[in-house]
Amino acid sequence: MKELEKSRETYEGIVIPGELEGRVMEAVQSSRKKRARKLSQRRRSRVYRWAAGIAAALTVVTTIGLNTSEAFAVEMQNLPVIGDLARILTIRSYEKTEGDTQIQAEIPGVDLGENGRELSQEVNAQIEKMTAQYEREALQRAEEYHQAFIETGGTQEEWAEHDIRIHVWYEIKNQTEDVLSFVVKGTESWTSAYAEIRYYNLDLKSNDFLTLADFLGADFIEKANASIKAQIEERTQAGESFFTAEEGGFETITEDSSFYVNDRGNPVIVFEKYSIAPGAAGEIEFEII
Amino acid sequence: MQQDHFEEIVEYILENQKKFYRLAYSNVRNEQDAMDVVQDAVCKALEHADSLRDIGAVKTWFYRILMNESMNFLRKNRRELLLEEPLGDEAYVCDPDYADQEDLYERIKGLPAEVQNIIRFRFYEELPLQEIAEIMGLNLNTVKAKLYRGLKALRVEMEGMRG
Repeated sequence: MKELEKSRETYEGIVIPGELEGRVMEAVQSSRKKRARKLSQRRRSRVYRWAAGIAAALTVVTTIGLNTSEAFAVEMQNLPVIGDLARILTIRSYEKTEGDTQIQAEIPGVDLGENGRELSQEVNAQIEKMTAQYEREALQRAEEYHQAFIETGGTQEEWAEHDIRIHVWYEIKNQTEDVLSFVVKGTESWTSAYAEIRYYNLDLKSNDFLTLADFLGADFIEKANASIKAQIEERTQAGESFFTAEEGGFETITEDSSFYVNDRGNPVIVFEKYSIAPGAAGEIEFEII
Repeated sequence: MQQDHFEEIVEYILENQKKFYRLAYSNVRNEQDAMDVVQDAVCKALEHADSLRDIGAVKTWFYRILMNESMNFLRKNRRELLLEEPLGDEAYVCDPDYADQEDLYERIKGLPAEVQNIIRFRFYEELPLQEIAEIMGLNLNTVKAKLYRGLKALRVEMEGMRG
């Protein structure tokens, strides 16, 4: 048995690389992020299922002429993110039907704690306003689409086969003790031309909005432009297509250019669909390192 | 979904990461590879946090994942290992005098991987045989038999067979 003890000592003497702790933390962090995404998806699909369950009841309600614009499912749910410090939560989550249009919404809000109260209020008010306005306008567009469809000879039956959905939701891009970066999106199933996409990058230390200058310094415009131009060149060679200068391609970013903070803590500048490349490319992103 | 043991698992992992590393390293025998294996095991475990019903079983649950990752790694890389290190650690199993010369720690490496791990769990991690059986996905008697044969091959006394 002595030999076994000795071998155990040798075993316990295996040198632990200093890197180990960082590698394990990295795995934990990335799992945490995946989990947050999965949680929000599951919550979403739970609303779907629930909504499907009341579909029959919904039909009855509609035919007897009650107001169907009532929110059918309103739930408040917490998504714990970074301990007690700061949280992003789903303030309202609902699914409803207006005429032939389905609306599915998951409206976020932030709770930045005592010191972040003002910033929380500002951000939440903006989100509230943006999502409400988007929903209203999208509904109007759906109605215009409907009328145009009927006026050009379409039948109500054919219209009913269209999948007309409005979707408002959010995605968390990065969450650490210091930074909360997320995006709020509104999209319509029948057109992407009016999609509303707004990024929020919050500095949780100073309770203020993060700017590109916070990441890249005072000359952030020059720095970002140089990086983007180099990346466009590289990606063009790799087969991606971008608009040329004549076609209205990339010229410069501005103070107000949209960006989020990625997993690695770097700013990622985002260009809307159609803005610097053909629409098939969708939104275009450039990580600025 | 909210009721899973995610945070407790994270805590367990952070506390015991050195143990995981030693085990992984003993199997893959390379620093970087061992860290890869631990990292993969952590990701897998946390991704399937909801599969752990009873937090009391976290140790066997996690070790099982870690063992699977280690074995996967060895399976995937066996070819390269053989090509690169044809006379690596595995070679001295064939030497009949070897067992008499080197210390036990080295001789253990000459045993089949499964038996090595059973020995590590039993004597280095001091796990009960029943838990080792769960980790290895073997029944208790098989674990006993393998341990017995392993120790016999190593010519050490047959203690540690209970528990």
